[in-house]
Amino acid sequence: MNPKTYHHISSNPSSVKSRFTRGFLRAFKKIKRQQRLLPTSSSSSSSNPSPRPYLYGRVKIAADKSLALAVGSRRAWSRALLWKIHYKAWRQRSRFNNKKKLLKENKKNKKNKKKKNDDEEVGFRHAKELRKLVPGGEAMDLCSLLDETAHYIKCLITQVQVMKSVDQIYSF
Amino acid sequence: MEPRSSTIGPSLDPNALDSFQFNEEIQQLMTIPQENASSFTALLELPAPQAMELLHHSPESNDSAAPAPAHSNSHTVTVDAHHTPYHFPVGANLTFPSNIALIERAARFSVFAENINNTTTDKNNHNNNNHSPATTESLPSNSSGNLGKVKNEPAESDSNKPNSPPPAENKRSVKRKEREKKVKVTTKKSKSGANESSEDAEKLPYVHVRARRGQATDSHSLAERARREKINARMKLLQELVPGCNKISGTALVLDEIINHVQSLQRQVEFLSMRLAAVNPRIDVNLDSTLAVESGSLMDSNLSNMVMPLMWPEVQVNASRQQYQQQWHLDAHHQPVWGREEESHNFVTPENSLLSYDSSANSATLHSNQLKMEL
Repeated sequence: MNPKTYHHISSNPSSVKSRFTRGFLRAFKKIKRQQRLLPTSSSSSSSNPSPRPYLYGRVKIAADKSLALAVGSRRAWSRALLWKIHYKAWRQRSRFNNKKKLLKENKKNKKNKKKKNDDEEVGFRHAKELRKLVPGGEAMDLCSLLDETAHYIKCLITQVQVMKSVDQIYSF
Repeated sequence: MEPRSSTIGPSLDPNALDSFQFNEEIQQLMTIPQENASSFTALLELPAPQAMELLHHSPESNDSAAPAPAHSNSHTVTVDAHHTPYHFPVGANLTFPSNIALIERAARFSVFAENINNTTTDKNNHNNNNHSPATTESLPSNSSGNLGKVKNEPAESDSNKPNSPPPAENKRSVKRKEREKKVKVTTKKSKSGANESSEDAEKLPYVHVRARRGQATDSHSLAERARREKINARMKLLQELVPGCNKISGTALVLDEIINHVQSLQRQVEFLSMRLAAVNPRIDVNLDSTLAVESGSLMDSNLSNMVMPLMWPEVQVNASRQQYQQQWHLDAHHQPVWGREEESHNFVTPENSLLSYDSSANSATLHSNQLKMEL
């Protein structure tokens, strides 16, 4: 077992990392509790729960959502990520095909010509790929895209660290 | 949050503090023009007190003066309503607590502008052409429009007026606090104007322009150059962030690396969430202790850090990218397996099969076995 050393949480108690940890742990415990309470998977011992492929999706969504919430609305990518999650959940709930089509069309119509001129300078396909990767990258000019990428990378690194340690704790 | 200074009795807002300092500076400046009164009044060719009188009377004399625009009339009406008699319509609806120094400053600026009008090109100062040189009546409506342009130009006219730059600089620094927005708008225009003038008169010492010699200086290319510098600065930051990017030169390759890094991070998150989804918390750990342990474990968990990267080799080579995809196909197969087997030690078997792709698989399996043994 890991020795339980009671350090302080971090040097900065309100950093992105600690906010993300708290939010993520809360959401994760909630998911686990829900998983337990469902009739199919009763106890941990011997029952054979049906494979839950969507549980992985839920954990991932919870992780992304808590990360975006920890960052707050200060950054464009966190806003875009929260909107994406919210929108997907809404879409799942409503399940009206007409509305889906309309909203998809609206999304696609947002394209600036200025972005393409910038991208040509730097490397067209690279910029396109980067835009796809970073949430909210479609509607940004190159300058802020690079800015957002830097912050996004930093936050992804903390997310990976936290999830690794959580995994370590729970797997012992 | 309002800063409550303990030294001053009543608590002051930052705005009040600013205006307080502003008042102090104005009072300081009021002494300066009196010292340099000779230069200022010499311009007007009037003795000092008469010049001051003229200035003070100018808002009232605007009614009679022809070139004064209508808006100053309306302002004089509103001015009388206020308690201080020297509120000055400078075209911006700003009210100043003590305006004598400001009036003088405005006069000085406009006078400078008219002097420069004779020396530099007409493009810059088409505003000034309407006003005759030595009229104090036209001072109020002139000053606001010319402030930004005149900011650069008094510096250029260094050779003309040796006395002027020091007080002009003081005024400039105070003016900046007061009218930052306006200045920013006008300095953009003035940059293009000043650039042209820099090409015309290269002998002048003070040029507040970022254009280098021999480069195009129209506003479009300036803006483009500024943008390119911004983008390059951010690329440098990204290079520092992504490991292994410092040695690479060239934007395309760096962007490649960045994209790879982001993709690998996102895949790590997915993989970890899969693991967490399948894990079963046998132990109910308190939230506080969890967080405490976490910070400790983050510092001690070098082992897990070694395992993870070995499983997911940082992609520097194109060939290993295909390995990635193969590993992910394998993950898809093993997912139902993980769903059934909730014990963590069962992860070793899929990990082993994944690791078989790596050359360093043996050391990694040893590490994972060690983790198991620590139980």
